[in-house]
Amino acid sequence: MQDIGEPISCAAAADFKPTIAACRLIGAGKRFFGTWAVRHVDLEFRAGEVHAVMGENGAGKSTLMKMLHGVHLPDEGQVEVFGRLVTLTSPRAAEAEGIAMVPQELDLFPDLSIVENLFVGRKRPRTRLGTFDWATMRRSALSAFARLDIAIDVDAPIRSLSGANAQMVEIARALMHDARIVIMDEPTAALTEREAQRLFGILGELKRRGVAIIYISHRLDEVFQIADYITVMRDGERIHTGPTSGLEMTTLIQMMIGRPLSKLFHRTRHPAGDTMLELRSLSRRGVFGDISFTVRRGEIVGMSGLIGAGRSEVAQAIFGIAPATDGQILIAGHPVSIATSRQGIGHGIIYVPEERRSQGLVLEYAIDWNMTFSALDRISRGGFVSRRREKQIAERFRGLFSIRCNSIGAPVGSLSGGNQQKVLLAKALVVEPDIILLDEPTRGVDVGAKAEIYRIIDDLAAAGKAVLVVSSEMNELLSMADRILVMHRGRLTGSFEGPDFPVAAIGAAAAGIVAEHNEDVTLHPGAVV
Amino acid sequence: MSPTIVGPLTPTEAPRRRRPSLTRTMVLFLLLLAELTVFNLLLPGYMSPGSLLDTSRTFVETGILALGMTFVIISGGIDLSVASLLALVSVVMGLSFQAGLPLPAAMLLGLATGIGGGLLNGAAVAYLGLHPFVVTLATMAIYRGAAYAISNAAAVSDFPPWFTTIGQSYFINGLVPTQLPILLVAAIALWLLLSRTSFGRRVYSVGANELATRFSGVSVERTKLAIYGLMGGLVAVAAIIQTARLSTARANASMGLELPVIAMVVLGGTRITGGAGGILGTLLGVLVLAYLQDGLASVGVRNDWGLVVVGAFLILGVLANELFRKSPR
Amino acid sequence: MKGLWVGRVIRRPEAPPLAFLVIMAILLGLTTPRFLAGANLLSIVSQVSVVGIVSLALNQVILSGEIDVSVGSLLAACAFTFATMAHATSGLLLPLLASIAVGAFIGLLNGAIVTIGRVPSIVATLGMLLGLRGVVLLLGANGILLVPNAARQFGLGTVVGVPTPIVFLVLVFAVFDIANRHTEWGRDILAVGSNRRAADAVGLRAGFVKFRCFVAVGLGCGIAGAVFAGQIGEIQATAATGFELQAIAAVVLGGTSITGGRGSTFAPVFGALLVGVILNALTLNSVPGTFEQLVLGTLILAAISIDAVRFRALRRAS
Repeated sequence: MQDIGEPISCAAAADFKPTIAACRLIGAGKRFFGTWAVRHVDLEFRAGEVHAVMGENGAGKSTLMKMLHGVHLPDEGQVEVFGRLVTLTSPRAAEAEGIAMVPQELDLFPDLSIVENLFVGRKRPRTRLGTFDWATMRRSALSAFARLDIAIDVDAPIRSLSGANAQMVEIARALMHDARIVIMDEPTAALTEREAQRLFGILGELKRRGVAIIYISHRLDEVFQIADYITVMRDGERIHTGPTSGLEMTTLIQMMIGRPLSKLFHRTRHPAGDTMLELRSLSRRGVFGDISFTVRRGEIVGMSGLIGAGRSEVAQAIFGIAPATDGQILIAGHPVSIATSRQGIGHGIIYVPEERRSQGLVLEYAIDWNMTFSALDRISRGGFVSRRREKQIAERFRGLFSIRCNSIGAPVGSLSGGNQQKVLLAKALVVEPDIILLDEPTRGVDVGAKAEIYRIIDDLAAAGKAVLVVSSEMNELLSMADRILVMHRGRLTGSFEGPDFPVAAIGAAAAGIVAEHNEDVTLHPGAVV
Repeated sequence: MSPTIVGPLTPTEAPRRRRPSLTRTMVLFLLLLAELTVFNLLLPGYMSPGSLLDTSRTFVETGILALGMTFVIISGGIDLSVASLLALVSVVMGLSFQAGLPLPAAMLLGLATGIGGGLLNGAAVAYLGLHPFVVTLATMAIYRGAAYAISNAAAVSDFPPWFTTIGQSYFINGLVPTQLPILLVAAIALWLLLSRTSFGRRVYSVGANELATRFSGVSVERTKLAIYGLMGGLVAVAAIIQTARLSTARANASMGLELPVIAMVVLGGTRITGGAGGILGTLLGVLVLAYLQDGLASVGVRNDWGLVVVGAFLILGVLANELFRKSPR
Repeated sequence: MKGLWVGRVIRRPEAPPLAFLVIMAILLGLTTPRFLAGANLLSIVSQVSVVGIVSLALNQVILSGEIDVSVGSLLAACAFTFATMAHATSGLLLPLLASIAVGAFIGLLNGAIVTIGRVPSIVATLGMLLGLRGVVLLLGANGILLVPNAARQFGLGTVVGVPTPIVFLVLVFAVFDIANRHTEWGRDILAVGSNRRAADAVGLRAGFVKFRCFVAVGLGCGIAGAVFAGQIGEIQATAATGFELQAIAAVVLGGTSITGGRGSTFAPVFGALLVGVILNALTLNSVPGTFEQLVLGTLILAAISIDAVRFRALRRAS
């Protein structure tokens, strides 16, 4: 029988030399639809080290990790694990090579118990009678969590756990399989400070056992705390690899951002008009609380913060998808109640969702069909949709946004990401809103399309619309916004006036550290880029 | 970045593609022609206009149900309760007439029963978030049970002649069955509703991407409620026609009819998981299956083969949809 | 610790039907004297064993996230096979095996259409329900097929004083309980039904897991067909029409979620007993048979509505 009592054991802890290469990428690259998401990456991860991979959204970090975890096969180059070239065709194949991944989005079985989750898809121990040895399984689960220093009811279903504990189950699951290389994708996104520190303790333990840890994070403070090595990715290429010691944080940020965005896009400044949208201590129980701010006509207000800070939820509450439970929304000075998205649109508000495919568009339907869907009332008489008006509108936006497509009757899914995003923007603008809430408006969009989208947003502000942009790309907000609001764990922790934003203070506010003054704050390690 | 879905997923009437898969329409049309030709060889005169029109009497009710079911299935739902609701409407109408209510008023009461039954399904699906399959499986029993319970399984059959005319008479020299125009009018009206109105677009959208529909400022709940309500109303119309055709209202009426109805819709190319399909396809599906059943019966094949055929067509119809599909993966 | 134990029992999927069953039994015991008589109780269990056996198997399909509505026709086909074979041979084993073989074959077919043909299980099994009934009607002609008295052992006989149907029910229950607890397949069913994406990610072969669930339903119907034939003694081609409704009712009343992933092995047994008790109560209180469907349908709707509300509340609480 296999050794189940030792769930977090490392195959050969004793004879590890600290500098041995656990795995290497040799000129690896991955292409999607003709464009390289990652190109020519040479990278080595060593046993017993924490190696942080950093970069902005879309820099190619996750594609890189997916090549290591068997989700994507490289289109060029090779993967080597412990000195052996391997072809990782599936996560299972990667696991067989000792590579485990703790994903950012939890992939557990919510209705099954923790023990069950640890063993599903794996060889379960059996008793002499041939039945499953649940007692042993429970024991090894308990000892796994004991090693992680967590008291947890291993018979409880995942559904009943907090996000942090569910995360721990993922970690325990990754470690139980004698993983020698562990990839962690933003493991602290859902954790509290204390839980995060506990996780770092566990990472230290793993290091001592000779496990190679590849750590993806946006949080500078924790990277500087735990990483031995840092690699920076930008636009699909490896920009830098080197030891953490001696690396200046400002240098790191500069490397991640690259050339200043202002060269890509120049914002036209114009005076802001009357207050259009005002929130007065808006709250949604258990999600966000006491959010107050205003957005004026012609103003672009940015919203920064970590993933899960509650930014999208605030925008969705304003729009009415998941209404607020407390507080007030005022539009042009008048209090309104918005309980559904229909009412939101009725009040001149539109929300452009973050998830284009699942929340925004029906990919298999035509471009014009999608563009007019939120505004059917405007183009129909007596319930009948005017195809002529629909075509007019679609053609207008096609020209206005230079959407590249064969015809407006083509399915949206046949367009590139950037053009899909422009269709999504057009769909929002067809309802002729006064207040536009944009959630990650340039996610998954190439550089050229990004610039075009920035221009569109700028034009909207110039036309007197009130614009709120939720974005995880600091650069985007720095160059676009008139004002940047920062959220942390459901609260507003900062508000900064442009055009010269204190980057460090914004980062500190996102990490939950509220600065007394906006100026004179040295670059804090909590900065988020 | 995940793979982009290229092109329409099914060769059906995906919204706003003016040319709905000619292939499928053609295949269905050829299938219809082929089966009629075979029956005509076996039974000379089967393909004459008079005979074909006469047969149409048997599928007007099923056809009307199939039209409504097209809406339900495109929206990503299913309604198994239609046959039971039909029996309930029929019994309610018959009993209230027998109890002294003027027949037109009884018909209105039947219509209200149908719409009410549909709305009940819709409310459970939309507002309780229950799976339409289980909801309508339960109401299938409830409506049938209610029909039995209130009628004590007895039949009502003393309807006045003007009423039975709806189901038994002819227009134009005994050529066109009285109820056929009702089916045609319903088909045209529902075709317009589905393919030309904003409501129709919401039906498609709810079936194709419910979340995106919600984010577009559309009340998914109200849309679903309206769809099941519409279905209920059409059930009532079918119930009135059937009661008139058979001159009786009985609790065991149209037992098991929900399955051929679903088979016709699916055969017509409507995607069972929602988001694609259309009225034209459904009409062809109705014709193919109805003439097949009638033809088989006419040439003396035992009635029970009809069940086998419908069952097989139900499965093969969906299998064909799968095969026709240009899979992106 | 004790509080935790109680909490966990309450959260178990089969807790509400069990509580409901106990309450019903007490109420009926108080109001209807004959109800608690040993013979009556035993006959209830006997009567529900066919539904119980089939729903235990059907439970697996539903847990895996699919549905099988063909069981009504499937049961009829198996019972018909059993009776026909009982006429042709003298033993009991051969008819039983034939019945099981027919069931397994149809289950295989259902599974293949769903997992290989990728036809949604609702449609595939609706088609099978219809087509198979047609076949039974064609083969069964219009007459009534009597089951030879010697072959009614599975329905009427006893094993050391316990009615055979109950013995079969307990055996089938034991098999599924062991399968659910101690085989990879049994454990994987819940995983596949709970989170298909995660199941794929850890390398479970979801299609094959589901395929075997459909075969299990076929086997279950094969056994139940023999019991059913023995109990009713004469098979009409229309036998067991609408039986699928009872079986599904038993499963969902037992607390298994119709969307899969949540539920237990016990669920259908409690559900079947609940259905049996309620129908028995209707009979004992001389409620006309015409109300049966109405009551059953209302119960299912109520059960799934309560489940949906309860599930939301549980999720909100956590």
